[in-house]
Amino acid sequence: MSWIETHIPAWVFIAFIAHGAILGTVAYLILLERKIAAWTQDRLGPNRVGPFGLLQPIADGLKMLLKEDYRPADADPRLFTLAPALMMFVMILSIAVLPWGGTKQTTRTIQVAGTIDSATAVAEQNTPFGATLIGTPIVQTSGEDESAKSTITYTYRYAFQIANLNIGVLYIVAILSISVYGVVVGGWASNNKYSFLGGLRATANMISYEVPLGLSILTIVVMYGSLNLATIVEAQSHYWFGVIPAWNIFTQPLAFFLFLTCIHAEANRAPFDIAEAEQELVGGYHTEYSAMRFGLFFLSEYAGMITTSAVCVALFFGGWHLPGLGGNVDPAHPSVTTSLVVCVLRALVFFVKTLIIIGIFMWVRWSLPRFRFDQIMNLAWRAMIPMALVMLLVTATTLYLFGPHDEAFRATGLITWKMAVALLIANAVMLVIIAAGAALLPAAPPTNRRVRVLGSRFDQAPAAVPATA
Amino acid sequence: MKDSDVIVLDEPRLSVADQFYLPQVLVGLGTTMKHMFKVLSGTDIVIQYPEERREDMPVEQGGMLLRTYRGVHRLNKDEEGRVKCVACFMCSTACPARCIHIEAEESPWQDREKYPAKFDIDELRCIYCGMCEEACPVDAIELTSMYDIVGLTRQEMIFDKEKLLRIFDQTVEDEPM
Ligand code: SF4
Ligand code: SF4
Repeated sequence: MSWIETHIPAWVFIAFIAHGAILGTVAYLILLERKIAAWTQDRLGPNRVGPFGLLQPIADGLKMLLKEDYRPADADPRLFTLAPALMMFVMILSIAVLPWGGTKQTTRTIQVAGTIDSATAVAEQNTPFGATLIGTPIVQTSGEDESAKSTITYTYRYAFQIANLNIGVLYIVAILSISVYGVVVGGWASNNKYSFLGGLRATANMISYEVPLGLSILTIVVMYGSLNLATIVEAQSHYWFGVIPAWNIFTQPLAFFLFLTCIHAEANRAPFDIAEAEQELVGGYHTEYSAMRFGLFFLSEYAGMITTSAVCVALFFGGWHLPGLGGNVDPAHPSVTTSLVVCVLRALVFFVKTLIIIGIFMWVRWSLPRFRFDQIMNLAWRAMIPMALVMLLVTATTLYLFGPHDEAFRATGLITWKMAVALLIANAVMLVIIAAGAALLPAAPPTNRRVRVLGSRFDQAPAAVPATA
Repeated sequence: MKDSDVIVLDEPRLSVADQFYLPQVLVGLGTTMKHMFKVLSGTDIVIQYPEERREDMPVEQGGMLLRTYRGVHRLNKDEEGRVKCVACFMCSTACPARCIHIEAEESPWQDREKYPAKFDIDELRCIYCGMCEEACPVDAIELTSMYDIVGLTRQEMIFDKEKLLRIFDQTVEDEPM
């Protein structure tokens, strides 16, 4: 046990468990999706395979594996195979920075023969990779020269997540925007016009919604001055008036709505599923895919939902923080706990919160019709990007105006209740301004007009040859 | 069609609230939530088909009246167990879907001239209108109330004489001629 503890870093175990849990959940999310689809349509959903249809994902998975893996003759063989793998790869990577359970603190005692010069050096040697030593090790020496034994007691901390990156948020945004390559490459490699159009639409969708997504994340980043997801979560784990948890949903509700909308677009799900639009594009980018290749596309869509929802939870719902779940040992760092059980419980809390957001995803999908393409673009460029920009500006201004006068904020960098109220009022004022702005905005160009394209076969007038300069 | 024939209509401008989509989105979400509650609280109207059947339910509760149902055909037999049909081709003439194929032969029995050597009904083309039943002069063909017939191939769904006579054996108890 000791060898494992000192030589295999904790994140290896966390990675195994987190990936296993998420990939297992993905299969069941598909079942949940089908159930919710059924319920909204007054049906019961799959209920034949196993009790309540609980074995349905296994049956589905077997079906995917056993079906013929068909590839069109003129498809690009390498890219065609690469695309679904790329999607899955990206989704698996993006799980890495999710802060599952705060920070784990461990105190260990080791015995070394003989007297030692530097206790810190010995303690560091015996600290697992990735953990940081806290405080100075305590040394007790017993016995005489030959039979001398030193007992070193030291404490180290490691983040209960796979990788504690300082640029966690940036990493997620960067990795997730690669996922569109899976769609585009798949659409291109299929050598099918519908797939190709699906890929194009996905690109346009992604480019448009990355901007408000980034901006709404930035409003949170500005508040804490950190891109580290673990830090952002930790900063949310205190209380206002002793009862209200300091989650960002209470300070930045508008940013939350923007973020939620953007991750819907990011996941290419209804009402933003123009990339697969069955009615227009047959199946969009995965028209030509079958068997497990299609399965990978399908699974990665759900894995992507888990990641984006988890980021949403970390940014707006306090991550692993649950009022009443104790285990904190360091008042200055609420994330630190000595108990592994608390870490696991926190991971579960995080996961349940994520599942609730995913439930919203599914609920929305089965409630709303698909947006038209021009509506999607209008929504992004004429509404959400300006809104997100204004929001960032207002948040920054509020912090600039009130921050220097707020003792607690200056001391700890935490959002105090005064700041929270100020931000909330700023949000409300902004909503009014935006509503007024929307009324003043010039009408969108008419969508139902025939656009004259000179020289096209629909343009009856002789094409005017532009004068060459 | 000339350009002047086309009437171009623009969408009406949305109100400020509708431009934000959110109020209407919430209304939509409310609607689906209502339906979800309906199912989750057990007040749905789903019939678990193979176990629960509409013919077993009272008609007032969405049940089905089997007496008047037009399902798969049968060829009736007479008292001596012979096929009743006299191969008069009335049914195949009356059939609007042209799905009855009869090959007549001289009958081995004294009481009639012809009998069907082959009698095929394509149950996939049939529209279950019951015209064949109406047309038959000797009440040899009838529609039963069996509706759950399945087959793995199209060929399987073309019922021949033997199969149609078997259906008679199966259903004669419940639905006498
Ligand atoms: S039920 Fe109608 S369609 Fe079917 S075989 Fe009889 S006449 Fe033809
Ligand atoms: S109408 Fe009746 S008797 Fe005549 S061929 Fe058809 S089934 Fe036979």
